[in-house]
Amino acid sequence: MGCYHHLRPHDGLHVLGAYTLNLTPFFQWCDDTVVSQAIRNSRFAFPVIENFHLFALTVLLGSLVVLCLRQFGLIYKTQPISEVALALRPWNLWSLAVMLTSGILLFLSEAMKCYGNTSFRVKMFFLFAALLFQFTIYSRIVKKEGTSAPLGGKIAAGVALCLWFGVGLAGRAIGFLG
Amino acid sequence: MSILSMCQWLQDTDIGTSIRESIWVFPIIEGTHVLALSISVGLLMVSDLRLMGYIMKRRPVSEVYEQIKPWMFAGFAIMVITGIFLFWCQAVKAYNSIFFKTKIVLLVVAAINAIVFERGIYRKVGQWDNALVPPTEARVAGWASLILWAAIITCGRTMAYTF
Repeated sequence: MGCYHHLRPHDGLHVLGAYTLNLTPFFQWCDDTVVSQAIRNSRFAFPVIENFHLFALTVLLGSLVVLCLRQFGLIYKTQPISEVALALRPWNLWSLAVMLTSGILLFLSEAMKCYGNTSFRVKMFFLFAALLFQFTIYSRIVKKEGTSAPLGGKIAAGVALCLWFGVGLAGRAIGFLG
Repeated sequence: MSILSMCQWLQDTDIGTSIRESIWVFPIIEGTHVLALSISVGLLMVSDLRLMGYIMKRRPVSEVYEQIKPWMFAGFAIMVITGIFLFWCQAVKAYNSIFFKTKIVLLVVAAINAIVFERGIYRKVGQWDNALVPPTEARVAGWASLILWAAIITCGRTMAYTF
């Protein structure tokens, strides 16, 4: 500590600290549940759940790619966009349900590992943004679109693609980059 | 020269070593390989589901299949290219993995299934193009394709756990 220690913004940090939500107990609780321990103690549970997570990724992102290609006017031009969206909807929603269920199980089994993981935080940011965007804006837009998407619809398609692929990329990075 | 020593030679090449020892290149190739699943198998799934009579039933089978095909092939091209690089940098581990060998066999079976479909029932698609539920032969091809690809994904993901 040098002679300038009185210049350290100690009080400022303290004030900020008081408003920072401490999530450690929550992550610790997640890490300790019966389910978490069961998955950790099983040799096959984690890989099996992760495989389902990957199947669901294929279906979820696959159905989104098809819908976006349609909005960009690259496939199924004679089919109204709302019709393509309706046809893909059950596949999109079911795969999302599998994705979230398997994702929560994977998270529970290594919650404390995720806690300090930057990629995990980035993934959660992208996930909440993607869910929010899809259910408030995107699904309403595609429901109303006819044979061609206006520029706004195409931009929405691009945003949805970026957000969901962001979730996937950050998810893959959890294991690699920390 | 045995296959094993060829694998050893391959992963010891400059490209193999530099991918394996890189901080960013390997994760990027691997991440692309995983995310391109959505473009390759994801799009294939939509045309398989049409063949099985589960999706876009009011649209001709040929329309659903043909329009998606170039994008699907682009997706598979990404899969093959990234897959080759992943194999390149860890060829010996792959060679020793039962999951990798199974994956290759299943890929060949999936390719045969696709060729049999294209050369067989799909040649007469004009007769059943608008069928809500396509003939048994086409439905079997769709089911076989989906099951094979699910198995291929499983092998690919599981082999990484044993590395």
